[in-house]
Amino acid sequence: MTKLSEIRSSKNVLDGSAAATDLNLSADDCVIGSGAGGALTAATLAQHGRTVLLIEEGGYYTSQDFTMRERDTESRLYQEGMTRTTKDAGITIFQGKAVGGTTVVNWTTSFRTPPQVVEHWRSKHAVGGFAYADLLPHYQAIEERLSIAQVEPASMNRNNRTLYDGCQKLGWAVEPLRRNVYACQQTGFCHLGCPVNAKRSMLVTLIPDAIDAGARLLFRARAERLELSGGQVVRVVGTLLDPEGRQSTGRSFSVQAQRFIVSGGAINSPALLLRSGLDSGGLVGLRTFLHPVIASSAIYDEPIEPFRGAPQSAASHHFADRGEEIGFFLEAAPWYPGLAAAAAPGFGKDHAGFMVQAPYTATHIAITIDGFHDDVPGGRVSLRPSGAPLIDYPITPKLWSAFRFAQKRLAEEQFASGAKAVLTLHDPPVQLERGLDEAAIDQAPWQTGSVAVFTAHQMGGCAMGDDPQQSVVRSEDLRHHTVKNLHVIDGSVFPTSLGVNPQESIYGLARLMATRLAQSG
Amino acid sequence: MPSPRRSFLQKGLFGGALLALGGGGLALVPPKTRQAPRQPLLSLSEPSFQVLVAFAARVVVAPGADPGEIAAGADLALSYALPESRTDLDRLLRLFDNALVGLVLDQRLTPFTRLPPEEQDAVIERWRTSSLVLRRTGYQALRKLCLASHYTGEATWAGLGYSIPVGLNQAAYEDSKVGLP
Repeated sequence: MTKLSEIRSSKNVLDGSAAATDLNLSADDCVIGSGAGGALTAATLAQHGRTVLLIEEGGYYTSQDFTMRERDTESRLYQEGMTRTTKDAGITIFQGKAVGGTTVVNWTTSFRTPPQVVEHWRSKHAVGGFAYADLLPHYQAIEERLSIAQVEPASMNRNNRTLYDGCQKLGWAVEPLRRNVYACQQTGFCHLGCPVNAKRSMLVTLIPDAIDAGARLLFRARAERLELSGGQVVRVVGTLLDPEGRQSTGRSFSVQAQRFIVSGGAINSPALLLRSGLDSGGLVGLRTFLHPVIASSAIYDEPIEPFRGAPQSAASHHFADRGEEIGFFLEAAPWYPGLAAAAAPGFGKDHAGFMVQAPYTATHIAITIDGFHDDVPGGRVSLRPSGAPLIDYPITPKLWSAFRFAQKRLAEEQFASGAKAVLTLHDPPVQLERGLDEAAIDQAPWQTGSVAVFTAHQMGGCAMGDDPQQSVVRSEDLRHHTVKNLHVIDGSVFPTSLGVNPQESIYGLARLMATRLAQSG
Repeated sequence: MPSPRRSFLQKGLFGGALLALGGGGLALVPPKTRQAPRQPLLSLSEPSFQVLVAFAARVVVAPGADPGEIAAGADLALSYALPESRTDLDRLLRLFDNALVGLVLDQRLTPFTRLPPEEQDAVIERWRTSSLVLRRTGYQALRKLCLASHYTGEATWAGLGYSIPVGLNQAAYEDSKVGLP
């Protein structure tokens, strides 16, 4: 047993904000980023006897810090203080930033990578380094370690139950979700960090496993660049940050290692490679996928209380495969005052009127599946003058068309489940009170800045594949095509989006690849 | 080499020209001071803070809303954002208030902060429904900042029928291996 409350004070955990001098460290393997990919990789390598140093830019927060209060936590737990957007501000980006990465704040939905996606990667993106069968034992091991199990429909909150019932009434495929929780107390606050550690995030599972196996963790340390010599990475250098992570302490760090594993996630991993002069002929940062999301809010006669219970427990992939059109899947989104206030349309009395209906409001989302069609090729990560990432993601006509279709389906299923009114998140909104009105939705302002679009799933930017002209890392071990002691292990290596929530896909691939790395020495 | 930065405010020639007007020395009249900040500002300049106070007063009309508190909360939240984003927001607020920009875009000579409330609402509405993506996304950025600042405060909870759980059993999950066979 490792007591969670004791790990942060372990001698193997270094707080970069408290360092009185510059830090010069070394390890066999240096893993940069402690989210789904990095934590799995660090634990696996350490358990195979490698000396591992895990670096994290975010803070080390624990359940004691997870107060369920947005004001205390959102700025600290999300990238850029929860202000990250695409370049034209058209898409709001929710991405975690803490020891444990986005796994600390996600909504626990767990899917294996669909087999047809792995096959698509093999046939279209030259991903020949593993087969779907190779991933299976790793999914099984992760599912056991993270207590991943399917929820019972009876335990769904009403926000999810309305989605489930609406889809069933329409004859659409819908399923209870699998979640990585143990004895969940249904607080409903997954996105602010689980206050009771029921969520089996990396913070409370694989990072403790890594520390137990001798790995060291340095947090509040921002990796600035990889330094290369003779075609190899010789060190990573970076900046130590203050306790709130807002600015440099004036101290730096440097880590020498035999092998470097970049696991900063989509957006941050390509940015680190770009800052290091590794652009792979323009491929790094390209094909960044966001699963862009639109939402629909519905008012019911009975209380919904969308802030109680598991945030997500049902999903419909009925429209995931639409042939030449862009597919999407349906899930529910929880409601918290600050988050909802920002998403709800309008201002003044109209906005205030919407907010007070919260207890009777269900919000369902359509998550579009990007990267499988030439007309929805994803976005691109580049660098700002400061070196911070900038994400350019144009919403193409094909994607706008998918949004329109999905908005109609959301309204349809909400009315089917008994909604008395449906409100889109356009500004000004479309309000439907007598059932689905397709013309009204078609006439809504489908343009940047007039409809809420957001993302909680970031993928791609350092694509894997066996053709160096089309990919950044090779698929057999996620090693950089030309830098032989550099690997990228996280969601940035996916050549497309997934069509499912990404965390378990990252876990499975990371465990497979880290095992191969460990066995190769 | 970093690529040239083109933030959302700087997108397009027209946006750049507006920025030059809003951020430079061509502002004809400074913002009207409504509430002095109660704490040292972390992110915004004093003039921009005043514009945000005026904007918050029109956008957040919920019971108990205090524009000065809302702007202060937004200033704190922005301190976690990228320096570039803070600079963008500061420029955007100056642009929003700027009389010369108002004259060009809306045929008004009075800064936003000095307009009567109904005319302020009309300005906000023009930004919301503008044909310029710069104005629409600028409106959204300011709107979200104010609304999130207000509604993340516990004082709003009762009016929304919202609360957080109490009496949670935290002791049950102290073992990192909990749940394993």
